[in-house]
Amino acid sequence: MTKSAWGWTWFAFLLALDIAIPWYVLTSVEKMSGAFLFWTIWAAAAIISAFIVLLKWRGVEE
Amino acid sequence: MSATFWVWFGIAVYIAVGLGIALMARRRLGVGVSEFFLANRRVGGFVSALSYSATTYSAFMMVGLVGLTYFTGVGALGFELTYLCGMFMMVFFLPRFWLVGRKYGYVSPMELLSDRYQNRGVGATAAILALVFLVPYGAVQLMGVGYLMNGVSGGAIPVVAGIIIAVVCAIAWSSIAGLRSVAWTDAFQALIMIVTSAAVLGVVIAALGGFGAFFSKLEAASPGLLTVPAAGGAWNINMFIGLALPWLFFLISNPQVSQRLFIPKSVTAMKQMLGGFLIFGFIYTLISVLWGFGAHLLVPGLENADLATPKLLSLTMIPTGLAIVVMIGITAAAISTIDSILLTLSSVWARDIHKGLINRKVSEKGELRVGQWVIPIMAIIAFLFAWWVTEQPEGGLNLMIAPLSSAASAGLLMAVPTIFGAFFWKRATALGAMVSCIAGAVLVLVFQLTGERPLGWWPGTWGFIVCAVLFVGVSLSTKPPKEKAEEFIGYLREALKKGNFI
Repeated sequence: MTKSAWGWTWFAFLLALDIAIPWYVLTSVEKMSGAFLFWTIWAAAAIISAFIVLLKWRGVEE
Repeated sequence: MSATFWVWFGIAVYIAVGLGIALMARRRLGVGVSEFFLANRRVGGFVSALSYSATTYSAFMMVGLVGLTYFTGVGALGFELTYLCGMFMMVFFLPRFWLVGRKYGYVSPMELLSDRYQNRGVGATAAILALVFLVPYGAVQLMGVGYLMNGVSGGAIPVVAGIIIAVVCAIAWSSIAGLRSVAWTDAFQALIMIVTSAAVLGVVIAALGGFGAFFSKLEAASPGLLTVPAAGGAWNINMFIGLALPWLFFLISNPQVSQRLFIPKSVTAMKQMLGGFLIFGFIYTLISVLWGFGAHLLVPGLENADLATPKLLSLTMIPTGLAIVVMIGITAAAISTIDSILLTLSSVWARDIHKGLINRKVSEKGELRVGQWVIPIMAIIAFLFAWWVTEQPEGGLNLMIAPLSSAASAGLLMAVPTIFGAFFWKRATALGAMVSCIAGAVLVLVFQLTGERPLGWWPGTWGFIVCAVLFVGVSLSTKPPKEKAEEFIGYLREALKKGNFI
């Protein structure tokens, strides 16, 4: 698989979690450690993965 | 002296400082369309990041998202963070927009589409989509300012007066030096926004006994707000997808932000822009949502959730000075969004409608003049829309700021298949692009206006499905611009490899 394909697959996986965990796993957890904590960690994972990609970018001729 | 006096004083200082920054930016203003609308593609990473942040995050966050959290709970966090997760797609789109912008000299994202599809009708269609759907989104910013000034002044400043102040400032700052004045004022105000909002959150949390006590009180008082679907089933999956789907693709569907992908001066500036924005967005989203939960505990029982922020700021525990500074910060953020929208719409009108369809031989000077005239016209239209909305009877989820913002983005979402096709699908055609944009947008408008939601799906969801199917179907049955597609995507393939982009 190309790097680009890996990137799109990872993104699709994140989106699947976005629905699956809060609505099907945490729906009865009425605490801050439920959906609130999940979405916070989930977004942090998306941000970190974006950083992993962008830190590899290098200058090109302009 | 009364609080109202200090509110007016704060507004006066804000206008004076903003004007000063805009006039300083004007000293660096060169000549030409690219200079006015894109600051000649020479903006540094720090300013790019803050400007992108202030353009994206505005009255919507500190008024709309706070209200949505107050009203519907943690689903609002998921909805907004889904947008931030969508920013992962920037690792694909930022380098692509930036590279082709430099190679082909595009001024607007619509011009990119016209060239890639070898058909001016594609750019014009996307331009009309932007003109129709960005007006409500711009109006949302104005409403935010109106509600905020009204609330903080205890009703002394009428909502419409706040809206007028916002309109006048937005016109001035987008006209004085184009993107330079917009970006500089954005950057300054973004810093104020995040620092002051964090300070207020600190005061609120301290008043509630610290983070631990705050969370415990929330869990005890309103446990339903911490799950989905909660608050009377507000966050069912259909609503979540309906609101989040347009937000997910906001980075490419909204031209006032996708146009910013042309402006970083180097790859380093691009990295700083994206990295800086992601950090800013994460912190600011958490602040806004916690602020909404704080308001739920401290000012319960509001009927109009968009008043959560103004009411919170008017509590005696918030020092008046801090409340006024925060009000100025949010006001500035709202104005920085609408001035970006005005600037983008003016470039779109000048380049893609006027030059693209009406007068192809217009000089660069003439094109710029047309763009500058469009700025106040669009501002007045947005003002009238905002005024009309604020005159409607209070309450009702459909007229809240957050759903209205998302409804506007639902229309803009219809350009997304066309944009994907431009970068990733050689078989995509102009007819496929135009038919899908028009049919999708008409469907969204009809569903928005009639309130129809077949199967419970929101207008944006239906529009997007129909739009994507039509785009693929019509493209497969028509002839693509093969030569341009090969050249455009071929160039990107090589350039992406050189920069280690994916």
